[in-house]
Amino acid sequence: MTRIKQFFNSFFFYRFIRDPVAIGSFIVLAVLFISGFGAPVIAPHNPYDTTTIDIMDSELPPFWYPDSDSRFLLGTDSQGRDMLSTMLYGMRVSIFIGLGAVTLQAFLGITIGLIAGYKGGRFEAFLMRVADVQLSFSTYMVAIFFGALFQAAFGMGLYENFAIPMLIFIIGFAEWPQYARTVRASVLGEKKKEYVEAARVIGLPSRRIMWNHILPNTLTPVLVISTVQVANAIMSEAALSFIGLGMPVTRPSLGSLIKAGFDFIFSGSWWITLFPGIMLVILILSINLLGDWLRDFLNPKLYKG
Amino acid sequence: MKKMMILFLAAALLFPFSAGAKTLRLAMDADPVSLDPHVQLSGGMLQYSHLVFDPLVRWTKDTKIEPRLAEKWERMDDLTMRFYLRKGVKFHSGNELTAKDVAWTLARLKRSGDFKGLFEPFADPVIIDDYTIDIKTKKPYGLLLNMCTYIFPMDSKFYTGTDKKGHPKDTIVKTEWSFANENESGTGKYVVAEREQGQKWVLKAFPDYWDKNTGNVDEIILTPISEDATRVAALLAGDVDFIMPVPPQDFDRIEKADGIKLITMTGSRIITFQINQKRREEFKNAKVRQAMVYAVNNAGIVKKIMKGRAGVAAQNSPRGYQGHNPALQPRFDLAKARQLMKEAGYEKGFTVSMIAPNNRYVNDEKIAVATAAMLSKIGIKVDLKTMPKAQYWDQFDAQVADIQMIGWHSDTEDSANFYEFLYMCPNKETGYGQYNSGNYCNKRVDELTLASQSETNVEKRMAMLQEVEKILYDDAAFIPFHWQMLSWAGSDKLKNANDIINVMNFPYFGDLIMK
Amino acid sequence: MFAFIIRRVFQALIVMLIISLLGFAIKQSVGDPVREITGISVSAEERDALREKLGLNDPFLVQWVRFLDRAVHGDLGNSFYFKRPAFDVILSKAPATLELVFATALLVILFSVPIGIYAAVRPNAWPARFLMGASIVGVSIPVFLTAILLIYIFSVTLGWLPSFGRGELIEIFPGWKSGFFTWDGLAHLVMPSVALTTIMLPLFIRLVRAEMKEALETEYVKFARAKGLRPSRVLLLHAFKNTLLPVITVGGVQLGILIAFTILTETVFQWKGMGSMFIESIERADTSLTVAYMVFVGFIFVVVNTIVDVIYGLVNPMVRVAGGRS
Repeated sequence: MTRIKQFFNSFFFYRFIRDPVAIGSFIVLAVLFISGFGAPVIAPHNPYDTTTIDIMDSELPPFWYPDSDSRFLLGTDSQGRDMLSTMLYGMRVSIFIGLGAVTLQAFLGITIGLIAGYKGGRFEAFLMRVADVQLSFSTYMVAIFFGALFQAAFGMGLYENFAIPMLIFIIGFAEWPQYARTVRASVLGEKKKEYVEAARVIGLPSRRIMWNHILPNTLTPVLVISTVQVANAIMSEAALSFIGLGMPVTRPSLGSLIKAGFDFIFSGSWWITLFPGIMLVILILSINLLGDWLRDFLNPKLYKG
Repeated sequence: MKKMMILFLAAALLFPFSAGAKTLRLAMDADPVSLDPHVQLSGGMLQYSHLVFDPLVRWTKDTKIEPRLAEKWERMDDLTMRFYLRKGVKFHSGNELTAKDVAWTLARLKRSGDFKGLFEPFADPVIIDDYTIDIKTKKPYGLLLNMCTYIFPMDSKFYTGTDKKGHPKDTIVKTEWSFANENESGTGKYVVAEREQGQKWVLKAFPDYWDKNTGNVDEIILTPISEDATRVAALLAGDVDFIMPVPPQDFDRIEKADGIKLITMTGSRIITFQINQKRREEFKNAKVRQAMVYAVNNAGIVKKIMKGRAGVAAQNSPRGYQGHNPALQPRFDLAKARQLMKEAGYEKGFTVSMIAPNNRYVNDEKIAVATAAMLSKIGIKVDLKTMPKAQYWDQFDAQVADIQMIGWHSDTEDSANFYEFLYMCPNKETGYGQYNSGNYCNKRVDELTLASQSETNVEKRMAMLQEVEKILYDDAAFIPFHWQMLSWAGSDKLKNANDIINVMNFPYFGDLIMK
Repeated sequence: MFAFIIRRVFQALIVMLIISLLGFAIKQSVGDPVREITGISVSAEERDALREKLGLNDPFLVQWVRFLDRAVHGDLGNSFYFKRPAFDVILSKAPATLELVFATALLVILFSVPIGIYAAVRPNAWPARFLMGASIVGVSIPVFLTAILLIYIFSVTLGWLPSFGRGELIEIFPGWKSGFFTWDGLAHLVMPSVALTTIMLPLFIRLVRAEMKEALETEYVKFARAKGLRPSRVLLLHAFKNTLLPVITVGGVQLGILIAFTILTETVFQWKGMGSMFIESIERADTSLTVAYMVFVGFIFVVVNTIVDVIYGLVNPMVRVAGGRS
């Protein structure tokens, strides 16, 4: 109880409650998360249960059209899946993959970048060249590689069960270098500064200097990249579905729904393109606006007042 | 000086109109891979061959054979067909076409890795005189004339000698520079004036073309646009005049657009799923296979995913093929399917794996997803994986999944070709059943197919082929879907676009008339 | 400096070596080139003979060593599809991509700097908030969708801009056909570069804003203000200079990301550069070209990162002397 009271009395909460944009985006994000993770309860249909889908229901328009079907509020896609339910189920997957992959990227990238920047010398050269190799390979090739390994090891059948963790791993693993390079550059700028010298002189262990002293001062660009990167990770997953390595095609994510919408841009069935697109925009927008606010709040270099 | 400039500019501006030059801006999903017609047996290369070369004979829109470089032909005996060549036909190099060029081309076809299979039944031809040639087969061969649509005579003088690398000019090279890959001399209406592989082709009308009674397009600018949406946008924006193919989801939009015409036609490529009896014990039971066919609403897929333009299929042979058996009808019936599963003892169902390509056939991935949903309704849960065609065929050959998609177009425009590749017992030595990943094997099918090869009596041959089709139907050897449609769209400036297309998907642009 | 460059060249070579090794190790998974260059009805033996002839049946290490041997002589392999040396193909496609990236970079700088500074100075003004929010829309719509929407609006509906390709090109020097010098070429450049810019812009606006905000809080800026210097002078000379460093660093890193996005943009606009070439080489299983491209890109990354490091070294002491963050 006191914890909660403490929270409500905190400076964090004080600032938060006075910023309408922060509150607004927090509420929107909360609604999206709840409806995404609560999809099995909230959604009117289960699009992943293929027995309920009928191709004859495909491409039905949203409810305000005369030829719509009352079962499908926002219409159906090219397979006859309910758009609303599919988007909710798909968003859950996309949030998992987006946040998961970015967390992994950031963790790998920050660690490698910190160490490379702080230690310097050969070690740094080695890590940065590894980053170059990784970057040249692009997510696509990394995915092909691990996808082939996975299939060789486990065969085809298990894919469906392991798709999400595997995608988080692939996208997280493929895109760490931009964090590493950014962090390293900031570390180079910081490590000659007096406060680091001072910490070293009083004999603090380098791990502690790196994580507790230097890192907080390099976070600005890292946070900027992270909020933007969530959107990229979600779409990377969709791009991978083309080479057969995204989510299984019978279980579309929000990203793959958008990708499928690309084909329908001229078709007249605009809802197939537009609804998932709007949903992703709202999701990313609220994450970013909240991120913008949080970044300003957390930045140790800014005076708050 | 200034006046001169203005005059010059004016002339330059007016030129395209005053000269009445007609330019066709054409966008296709991919461009031909070479200038050498024998380098690859593919739709793209044959389309190219029809532009720059001319065949001895060619298919008409209603799948009859019409004369081109051969004016007429007659059957001499069971093994021989005599062709009388058109006189005064010039190659782009200026050389004149003679029987020697035809014989030379046939010999080169038999050397080409891609075409040698098709021309295996052919023996050496006999040149009677400059304009008469006897084309012979080793055994009686009913499809001789069909195969002559593949003979596009090449300029034997032009392709003789050695190139700058010291290789003979007629070497067929798939992966590197070669004389024939970069230079052409055909008899066709168009000369390749400019070419940037994968980017832009400029074809100019050949002034000495033999056929004066053709279309009026003087120049064709061919741009490959691989992205469907961009290709459609380019047509809608008026940046190109003709596109092929058109994605089904955009049919409606194009039909409604002003100044643009959509043309579709049911093709002869059959889309199927093969059910692997070697991988799955359940699939050995004919009842299970039948249940799967009964469970698939292929008419629904045609209506919704193919926008009603494909032909709903219950067999391999499309109408017009000798093997087409009119008695065989589509059989979607969910209750019957469930009943069959129950009879087979699989009421509870089972889980299977399925693979399909996602950029090979029209809406291939969507068809696969819909099929997975349909099969789940009779308790067969499907783990579906789709992949690009570059990876697909290796997986297909390795038979990694229980159910695999394949579409087939008969190169000979004849039913036996389907059975030879898809349903005869797989045999590494003879090469039959090369794409039979269902491992369906039925002695009677093998017998009939082999017998049909040298049967020249059409009635008897039809009976044989139709019997095969019936056996495959009754056995549910495969799940049939549809004959994929062909689609084109062009601006109204093209007056006879409807007449130049055909079921082989080789639009005869030479015959096109533009406003 | 000389030793530094030698060291980097050496590192670049190792990077390229490793990329090629990994490339060869995984190229089987990309697909079988022989499948792509033969008709489907060709017999299995015929296909295997061709595979043998092309040396594709050898273990990958053997193939790799053969590749290295040729690479030493300047031959990075042969593209099956283009039927030309892969390196020539890449060079012929490079100008298109470089021009697109250059135009995008220009647009990003042109927009992100003023908007970023404005948003830092007036963080609560509604235009600043609007621009910050609106820019996010650009990054949340996948670039291929932005691209096709632009085509839909400006080519199909309004008919203002051409829908695909690079338009009229002029050869400015051998091998470099440029679209910068004709109206037609520039018209074709508008939509692809705008599409790419929408992806990069939000990040850079935020970065400029965040760094600028920090700079404005530093003592020396406050001091400069207190001294009564003109606000614009304080902003640009004192504060903005300090934001350059992180912007350059992130800019260098984002180049890699930009290359990834050019792939999608080029494909939709049929912009025939290295990006669309790469994706098509994968689709066609033109593996020699795929590997050659990755080796080439690896080289570019090392070069760009070296340049960024050099600039960094040049800018850094100045920043420290001038700034000295408290």
